[in-house]
Amino acid sequence: MKIVREALAGTLESSDLLVRIAPLEDGLELVLKSEVIHQFGPHIEKVARDCLARLGVTQALVVIEDKGALDCVVAARVQTAVSRAVDEWTPDWSALS
Amino acid sequence: MAEDCEELVFDTIEVAFFPRIRNELVELLGKCGLSIEEGVDTFVTCRFEGRLVGCAGLEANIVKCVAIDPLARGECISLKVVSEMIHVAHDLGHDHLFLYTRPNNISFFAGCGFYPIVEVPGLVTLMENTPIGIRSYSRSLARLRRDGATVGGIVINANPFTLGHRYLVEQAAAGCDVLHLFVVAEDASYFPYRDRFDLVREGVEGIPNLVLHPGSEYMISRATFSSYFFKEKNVVGDCFTAVDLLIFREHIAPALGITHRFVGTEPFCRTTNKYNADMKYWLQADLSGAPPVQVVEIERTEYGAVPISASEVRRLLAADDFDRIANLVPPTTLQLLATKYRTPRVSAA
Repeated sequence: MKIVREALAGTLESSDLLVRIAPLEDGLELVLKSEVIHQFGPHIEKVARDCLARLGVTQALVVIEDKGALDCVVAARVQTAVSRAVDEWTPDWSALS
Repeated sequence: MAEDCEELVFDTIEVAFFPRIRNELVELLGKCGLSIEEGVDTFVTCRFEGRLVGCAGLEANIVKCVAIDPLARGECISLKVVSEMIHVAHDLGHDHLFLYTRPNNISFFAGCGFYPIVEVPGLVTLMENTPIGIRSYSRSLARLRRDGATVGGIVINANPFTLGHRYLVEQAAAGCDVLHLFVVAEDASYFPYRDRFDLVREGVEGIPNLVLHPGSEYMISRATFSSYFFKEKNVVGDCFTAVDLLIFREHIAPALGITHRFVGTEPFCRTTNKYNADMKYWLQADLSGAPPVQVVEIERTEYGAVPISASEVRRLLAADDFDRIANLVPPTTLQLLATKYRTPRVSAA
């Protein structure tokens, strides 16, 4: 799916994360900041990247400000941000679960 | 207090319409050693049991006046207020946010997704809500880098472009191997950016070794130098130039290899005059990790023993005195003024 506008999802509250996604011409850039980056940084990034891959997002700037969210929350916030940033939201629901 | 987050109530208001809430905001900001800023039109408010306990203000895309009641601290209200403010700003169409804060609050705002651009040691830090903002801007500038022993930079507003600007650019270009010319992009001047930029482009034609750049939010913009645009209202008091100049020194000049910044002497405008004086300090003094940039002041060119200035041209335009304007501006500017900006005369018939 093509990211056509900047979009936000989530909050900065504890156990949540704020995802900001924006159009980008050259590839997928993901910037992660997390309260628990030393323990879980690579894992959070993997969850986010998997989610983006399943949604077919290959060109975007994704900035995540994580406050210790669980995997399911990370995926949910990334999905929601993508849904707000595209013109046609046509997810493959079975692939997302 | 405020153990139960459900009891926090958030609102977004345009402060001009709510004088009673404005008074509450003034009181809350006062408790935190802040005062309400006039340009801030939108406020996010946070209440607990009806009492105002937190706020964050927005002046276009600049976050200001973030405060939490000292008695309500330690409850993570601040993160909720900033989250709310980020969403409100997004709904208003402001995705790229700037924020001024004291350096001791950097780590708090870093935890809210803000990244420092530049710090005036001990005084203030400008942050933005993207990790790649100033970095990708610097990268895009670096693609236009050209090598030379003396690389110059000029930033002009050109409101509108005069023979004085032409003279300044010519003199500067003659003094360096490459000259980078920037046009202030902020649309806060009498002439809109598009017209100012076109006039500069046409006006500098034929000057060698010149690279013309569009302006950006990182250079004499509302975000980096808000007081500049209030100069017509004569609010120069604490106009704060250091942030703008340090961004130039630490990000823009290194990206392009700029060694010298050229500027015209300023006999009329106090704001610009102070900017020139501050420029020597912030670009040259030994206070930054970035190498110094030499400031070169060029005497203004004159017509009839009076220095040419854009403000004089605006004054003559208001008086419809095109004979005298013709002495101060190049033909391209004269033509645009005559066709687009001439006030229709009331016909005697």
